[in-house]
Amino acid sequence: MRLSTEFIAGVLAGGILGWMFDHYLGTKPWGLIVLLMLGFATGVYNVMRASGALPRAPTKERDR
Amino acid sequence: MAVKMDPIHQFELKPLVSFGHIGNQEIAFTQSSLYMFAAVGIIALITVVATARRSVVPGRMQSMAEIFYEFIGSTLRQSAGHGSERFMPLIFSLFMFVLVLNMLGMIPYAFAVTSHIIVTFALAFLVIGTVIVYGFMAHGTKFLKVFVPSGVPGWLLPMIVAIEIVSFISRPISLAVRLFANVLAGHIALKIFAGFVPALLAAGAWGAISPLPLALSVAVTALEFLVAGLQAYVFATLASIYLSDALHPGH
Repeated sequence: MRLSTEFIAGVLAGGILGWMFDHYLGTKPWGLIVLLMLGFATGVYNVMRASGALPRAPTKERDR
Repeated sequence: MAVKMDPIHQFELKPLVSFGHIGNQEIAFTQSSLYMFAAVGIIALITVVATARRSVVPGRMQSMAEIFYEFIGSTLRQSAGHGSERFMPLIFSLFMFVLVLNMLGMIPYAFAVTSHIIVTFALAFLVIGTVIVYGFMAHGTKFLKVFVPSGVPGWLLPMIVAIEIVSFISRPISLAVRLFANVLAGHIALKIFAGFVPALLAAGAWGAISPLPLALSVAVTALEFLVAGLQAYVFATLASIYLSDALHPGH
């Protein structure tokens, strides 16, 4: 559940951003296409970070 | 047989006091608002009233309040590092609010406020708004380093920065969707499984297997209590992880 929402949120954020780009800048399909793909990448990135495949914020160990 | 089985019906907002309209939208004090006030009242009861006596040997209520406080305090320290104490009131209020609303929603016939995405999104927006405002206040433009992870090769940097920005925007969405989806799905599943019992009983001989969905709905109820507590904890943990970005930008 945790990982799936991370992924969905990434795609959703990309989709919303792309749609807004197109809506306000009049670049009809391109903003959505590019940002949806970027959103997909973000979803994968979010999942990798949430599942611990990426080292998360090494500064925190130092600060503690 | 007219057994009423509408799993969505329980999430309907019922206006109690109407304040008129803005455009076509009714502005009203709904049962959702009433539950939120009730939650605040309960939290005030178990924190303010319980700690009013401030005895060295805590009573039952006081030790409960202390356990909650210590629990959230250690969670916040672990995920947000030093300097995070200033966010303790925010995280503690968020955790208690979500926890009490989730638990109130588990009472039969009660309304689950957190099953509405606008409520959870408002809470998530509060967190991310705090991150942005505090980040810029404390670090100025250095806060933008949160989008530039260290140790990334130069040719990959533009791509990673773009992904980090979208990832940052996806945070309030994931925070809101997770809580809302868990509560909504749990309540719908509970309603459907419980609805099988009268439906089977009404269907003559099929009534013989009605204990099966009954046992299942008991199990789902237990699971939902777990989810109610766990999601409040997850919300508080993720909020403090995001706040740690505002405290220490530039990983």
